[in-house]
Order: sequence, then C-alpha cells, then structure tokens
Amino acid sequence: MDILLSFQGLLPFFFIIGISPLLVGLINKQKALLTGRIGAPVWQPYYDLLRLSRKETIYATTASFISRLAPVVSFAAILISSLMLPIGYVRPLLSFNGDIIVFAYLLGLARFFQILGAMDIGSSFEGMGAAREATFAVFAEPIYFFTLGSLAFITGYTSIYDIYHSIHLDNPTSIVFIIVSSISAFFLMVTECSRMPIDDPTTHLELTMIHEVMILDNSGIDLFLYQYSSYIKLMVYAVYEASFFNPFSMQNHWLGFSVFLIVLVLLSTLVAWVETMIARFKMKSIPQYLLFATAIGILNLLIYTFVRH
Amino acid sequence: MMFAGMAIALFVRPLQRALLLGVGTLVVGVSLNLLFSVSRILSLPAIQPVFALHASWEIYFRADGLGLYFLLVITTVAIPTAISTHSYLQHYLHKQSATRAFLATFSILLLSTQLLVLADHAIAFLIFWELMTLTAYLGMLLEREKTEVQKGSFIYFTATHAATFSLYIFFFILYQHTGSWNFSDFHFTVENGLPFYAACFFGFIGFGIKAGFMPFHFWLPWAHPIAPTVLSAFFSGILIKTGIYGLFRMIEFCSPLPDWMGIMILGISLFSAIFGVWYALAQHDIKKLLAYHSIENIGIIGIGIGLGILGISYSIQSLMWLGFGGALFHTFNHAIFKSLLFLGSGIIYHNFHTREIDHMGGIVHRAPVFVALFLIGSIAISGIPPLNGFMSEFLIFKGFFESASILGHYFPLFMLLMTVGLAFVGGLALACFTKINSIMFLGSERHGSHTFAVSIADYCALGMLAMLCIFLGVYPQSLLGIISSVITFNRWGIHVQPYSMFAQWDVMTLVFGSVLVTITLLILWKTINKWQRVSPAWGCGYPHQVPRMQYTASSYADEINNIASTLLHREKIVTPPTTIFPAVSRFRSHAEDFSDEQFVKPMYAYILKKITSVEFLSRTDIRFYILFMLIVVLMYGGIAIVWTYF
Repeated sequence: MDILLSFQGLLPFFFIIGISPLLVGLINKQKALLTGRIGAPVWQPYYDLLRLSRKETIYATTASFISRLAPVVSFAAILISSLMLPIGYVRPLLSFNGDIIVFAYLLGLARFFQILGAMDIGSSFEGMGAAREATFAVFAEPIYFFTLGSLAFITGYTSIYDIYHSIHLDNPTSIVFIIVSSISAFFLMVTECSRMPIDDPTTHLELTMIHEVMILDNSGIDLFLYQYSSYIKLMVYAVYEASFFNPFSMQNHWLGFSVFLIVLVLLSTLVAWVETMIARFKMKSIPQYLLFATAIGILNLLIYTFVRH
Repeated sequence: MMFAGMAIALFVRPLQRALLLGVGTLVVGVSLNLLFSVSRILSLPAIQPVFALHASWEIYFRADGLGLYFLLVITTVAIPTAISTHSYLQHYLHKQSATRAFLATFSILLLSTQLLVLADHAIAFLIFWELMTLTAYLGMLLEREKTEVQKGSFIYFTATHAATFSLYIFFFILYQHTGSWNFSDFHFTVENGLPFYAACFFGFIGFGIKAGFMPFHFWLPWAHPIAPTVLSAFFSGILIKTGIYGLFRMIEFCSPLPDWMGIMILGISLFSAIFGVWYALAQHDIKKLLAYHSIENIGIIGIGIGLGILGISYSIQSLMWLGFGGALFHTFNHAIFKSLLFLGSGIIYHNFHTREIDHMGGIVHRAPVFVALFLIGSIAISGIPPLNGFMSEFLIFKGFFESASILGHYFPLFMLLMTVGLAFVGGLALACFTKINSIMFLGSERHGSHTFAVSIADYCALGMLAMLCIFLGVYPQSLLGIISSVITFNRWGIHVQPYSMFAQWDVMTLVFGSVLVTITLLILWKTINKWQRVSPAWGCGYPHQVPRMQYTASSYADEINNIASTLLHREKIVTPPTTIFPAVSRFRSHAEDFSDEQFVKPMYAYILKKITSVEFLSRTDIRFYILFMLIVVLMYGGIAIVWTYF
C-alpha cells in the first residue's frame, strides 16, 4: 500500500517532466498560427532536447568549475521542486508542512547557480542578463508569497497540496480567490519563465533579453539541462496556475483531470496570444509591472479580512 | 588556558613560536569549553546550575541553558577563528609588539566573552562586557598608524560605550526594583509600570546598539572594515551575538512583555533586515558589505525574537518555540557562515591588498577550493537550501503562518507583510551574494595576475565552518534537539515541545538529500560524456576582449539600486565621454548611510554643542579649578546639612 501510494505520488512528477516540452511546443505552434505562419510541429522541443543531448559541450577558456556545476544544480533543484506539485487529486511524493517555502527557495537555488554560471565567463552580455535576472527575481519572490502565501494564511495550511485542496466551490469567496490568485499567478509565470512582456524567448539580440542571454555560452549537455529545466519551470508554473481550478476534481477525478488539461491548453493559448499582441516592455517599466502583480496579491488578503469581519 | 595564551603571546621568543604556542593554547582552551557546554546542555535539567569561582566571592556563575547555548556558539566559532589567527598574524610579523599585543588582547577577548554568557551577577556581567568591549577596541588597533583605523575604532568605542551606559541604567533599575544583583532574582512585570518600560527601553537600546539593529547599526560599517579580519569575524560571529544574548536575558527578566513590544521589535527587525541588505548591495568594499549583511541577519534574528515575544504575551507555546527557536538557530548559523565569509575576505585582502570588489576577479582559476568554500558560506547566508541559513529562516516562516492561524484578527495581514518582507530580503541577499561571488571570483583578473596563496591553517578553519554549514542544513535535527532543551528549561514556562511537531524534518532531509543525489548523478553523466572541448568565449564578433569590459559590482547592482536611489542616498558621479575622441570618462557611485546623515551626525553635533556651551569653564589658570572644587564641595556640604536637619 505504501509503495503504491508513493508510486501514485510520482505520477504528477512524471506527468510534469514528460509533458513540459509539449507545452512549449504548443505555445510556439499557436504563436506561429496567430502570426500567419505554419510553424514547427508541436513535438519540436523534444527533437531539440534530443539533439542537444548528443552534441558536443564546449567550455570557454575563462570558464571554471562553476560553469560545469551550474546547469546541473539548477536542473536538479527544479526537478526536485516539481516533485512537490499536486495534479488533480493525487498527493505528490514530497508533501509536508511548509513545502511552499521550500518550493520557493529551491527555485532560488536554481537561480543562484544560473546567475553564477552566467557570470563565470566574464562576458558582459551575460553579466547584463544576470543583473536583470537578479533584479526581477527580487520582485518576483514577493508575488509568489502574496499569492500562494496569502492562500496559506487564508486556509491555514502550509503545504501546497493542502492549500489547493481546501479550496471549495461551495464557498463563494473561494471563487474570488481563484480569480484573483490566478491573475497574479499568471504574472508570476510570465516573469519567472521569461515570457513575453518581460523577456523575449525568441530573439537573440543580447541587449533585450534576460534568460536567453544568460545561457549564451552554454552548449551540448549544459544547454540541454538549461533548456529542459526552463521547460519544466514553465510547466511547474502552469500546473501551479491550473491547480487553482482543482475543486472540480473533488467531485469527480476524471472531470478534474480533464478540467486541468483544458486549463493547461487555454493557458498556452493565452501565453501565445499575449506574446503575439503585446511587445516586450521597456526594462525600466518592468518593476512597475511586477509591483502591480504584487498589489493584486494584497487584494486577496484584504478580501479575506473584510469577508471575515 | 586563555591566560596562558596571553602570557605566551607576551613573553615567548621568537615571535613565530609564540604565535604557534599561543594559538595552540587558545584552541585547546576553547575546545575544552566547547566540550563543557555540549556535555552540560545534554544533561541540562539534572545539574545544579549556579556555582561561584570562590566561596567568599559573591560573584556567581550560572550554567543555564541560554548561557550554555551561547557558550556553544562562541566556542564553535572561536576555534576556527583562533586557528586562522595564526596565519593571519604571519602578515604582521614585522610589527613585533603590535602582533604580541593583538594576540594577548585576543586571548582576553575570548575569555571575557565566554565568561560573559555564564555570569549570573549584574556587576560581573558589566565587568566582562566592558572587558570584552575594551579588548576588542585594543585589538582593532593592530594597524593603528592608519587614519581610517583610528576613525573607525573611535566610532566603535563611542557607540559601544553609549550601549554600556544604557546597560548601567538598565541594571540599576532592575537592582532598584529587586534589591539584588543576581540574575536569578531579577523579575519584572508590566504591573510595575514606568520602571518596567524604562528598563525595557534602556535594555533594548543597550543591547540593540551592540547587536546592530537599525538605526543603532552605524558603528558596524565603520568598525568592520578597519578591524583585523580575524577580529571582524569575531565581531560579526560573536560580539554582536552578545547583544542578542542580552536581549534574551532581558526578555527573561521582564516577562511577559506586552504584545505591542513584540510587534515593535518585528517592525524594527524587518526594517533592519531590508535596509541592511539593500545597503549591502550598494557597497563595493567587501568587508563593509559583509558588515551590512550582519545587520540584515541580526534583523532576521530579531524577527524570531519578536515572534517569540508575541508567543509569550499570548502564551502560545508553539509560537514561542518557533520564534525563539528560529532566533537561536539563526544566531548559531549566522555565527558560522559570517565568520567563514569574513575569514575568507581576510585571505582575499592579504592577496590583493585591497578591499575593493571591483579590483578583484578570476580567483577561481587560482584557488578553486577556496572559492568553493566561500561559495558555501554565500549560499548559506542567502538562506538557500540545502544549507543551514535556510533552515532557521524556515522556522521563522513557519512562525509567521503559525501566529496568523492562531491569533487571527488582523494578524494574517500583518504576518503576510512580514512573510513577503522576509522573502524580499532573501531575494536581495541572493542578488548581493551572486554579485560578490561573480565579481570577485569569476571571469578573468582585472588588475594583472596575482598569485593567490591560502595557508593550510586557513583551509582547515574555513573547511570546518563550511562542513558545519552543510551538516546543519541537511541534518538540522542535531541542533534542534539542543535548542529544544535550551528553550524548555528556561524561565519562559515552555513545556516540552518536541521540535518534530513543526515540520517533517525527515522529509526535508529527504528533499535535500535527493537534490544532492540528483546533482551527483548528473555530474557523473557529464563526466562519462567524452564530447567536451575548450575554446575562447564568443565576443559578439569583437576579438579584443579585455578584463575591463567585464561587469563590475556597481553595474551589476545598478538596476536594483536605482529603484531605491533616494532612500539609499546613493550618488553617482558621471563624467561621460564627450567629443569624437573622448579624453577621460569616469563613473563613481557611492552610497551614504541614512543613519549616519540623519541620526548620528545631528546627535553628535547636538552633544558637542551642549558640551562646548560649558567651555567657558575651562581656563588655563589653576586657581579657577580650585575655586570650582571649593564651590562644589560647599554645595554638597550644604545639601548634606539641609538633608540631615530638615
């Protein structure tokens, strides 16, 4: 029974690492369709990963052991953090009191090493990306704690699984929370996964990018690890967002799972649509954008405080 | 042992042997104390804690949980620091007497700090406090010919004496109230009215200055950069922790504190944490930066204390445990990783002869092991798992959630703001430590090629501290057990609260273990893979890459600092390139501490004005002085006569 439970707990993990390239492929395909191109097939990210894992890894002459370590650490941290996310009704393998804090800080570990890895070469392009990443991360962490943290304060649980499972549809305030939280969670996803209004994942013009410029000097396995971890990260945040619509799985598991899948697809459409319609923001206005998302998070708790009194 | 260390430092010749012997004696002495504290803590309730050095003296020592815990902190940090002193003083062998004096004062400093946390008598406490402050001051004067050393040590001297002054008042109030100098007899409650608040106020000022809460932190960024590095490590690791120790004692004496005091301390601490780390981000002097980080970490410890006070005033056991437990754990952690970082910065200073981060670079190619050790300290201080800094912050985070769910009312909103504040501090610390690690260590060297020598003693010292960081991060249960018994056997009336109640520590060990295992597996996979090549970095088509083109500390932190430029009083002096053939262009940035400008300087100016207003009394003629003395004597006599007869 115990083994069966832990196997069940691994299901969300395998789902996340298996489906994550598909989600990116889906976004790219829809973006192509929206801009009137045919675009690459949705399986393209899988081919990319396969290609990268077979390629030769080249290190710069100025690179040290940090360059060799950084992709590994950041991949491992993101991989383990994805073990904490529930999908539908399934309890993830690693679920304990306070895992929302560990989750956030594991992503911090990934970021720490990614920044160091970028700075290792001593190239000023990567310095630029690393400095931006550090700056926006400072504002992204409060958003995380304002959304999931405020839900933790409201529900009284500190485990991601418990928080999602305490959202009930029969409670009218829950619906308000779902709407408000999913807006700020979307902002968070866009920021953390370097999507469009913040960062442009498709251009290779160094001055305008954050994530892409940080991995400029990586190749082969290192690039494979970075790319795959960025796919997983996008998937993790998408699951984080889609799980707000979890209450459906309370009534019926299969209904819940289909709602979950539909929300994921809708989310990819939304990302593709936003990326087609909106140009990237000026670097200077990004902190304002992030503070706006923070303000939405505060709204959550204000609603709660007023509803209770 | 400490006295022997001092004697050896002063009298054994030649100096080289004196160093070896002196440091050896210190290490042995401190290790014995470490064993003492650990064995006592493990058998805590069974032992009669009060003892006197000599039966006829009325000065008592008490080995209770709190004292023993701080003794543990002190001795754990003192061992590597003392080991590192040996190689540090090698650079000052040409200054015979100064080196001897430093080692001697360092021995006394170690001794007095250890006695301080065991003292059970207010006078003894003050004596050791003063001894500690003064020997630290004397130790700072190792390079006394430099003006900045004179200035910085003087600021330290005045600040800590302001602290001692308010501590005198604090203890006098307590004595007045209880009629005893013994810690065991001190007890104060809110019903005592004004004296209670006065005691709390002066206690907080006194211990707060020592600990470095904002806005009393002004001495730290002055004193740390100029102190010899082993002493800076000692300052940050231990000396400011005595302020925290004092705060804990104050909470013990004045119990229960009202809840608004807890909230106030929470506010002050969060303020210290945020601004400490933000100022740190703007610095490019490595030791000044680390000094500001001490303020940040003291803020985090203070947040824990604030939560504990809330727990006391609402008598919630779990909150007391999480708050005080988190504070005590973070005290230990900060002592470890901050002394690791300071000792590391001393080694860097002696190799580069500068503290300017922007002049360094590329150290990783010369001393990868040293960089790895420093990196471990950096990850730990940024509060990132799987190292120990995260574990204590985790307890504090749990405290926020716990207090919100139990206290209800407006607390969820307040605690959410605290949570977000602490997360913000974490983000800034991450930015700051990626900054110093990448600018100092990575890339290529900015100013010619340096040799980078690290002695074996230094590697030992740093290695010990780094191992502790990893051990306490992956297996925090070891220390949490000790903390649990320390808190339980104190006067706060906490009954046994097993630490296992608050989190599934084993699962967390599993999480971090699995991170480490994944990392190892991936590294193995990468080493098996033979397809590797080294080639020059891509320069965007520009072939002449020079080290000066690398990002600097200022440019890295520029975007974050721009957001708070006005708050930080940061000024940039820019001389842009003008013509087609630009001559000289410059950029300098500098951050001024608000407390220096708006709090300390006006206060000093005010005091100076008041003092100079009685300047007319100072005359060159000795007869005036005799006249003044006569007048004072007559005044006292008159008052005495009036007092006795009416």
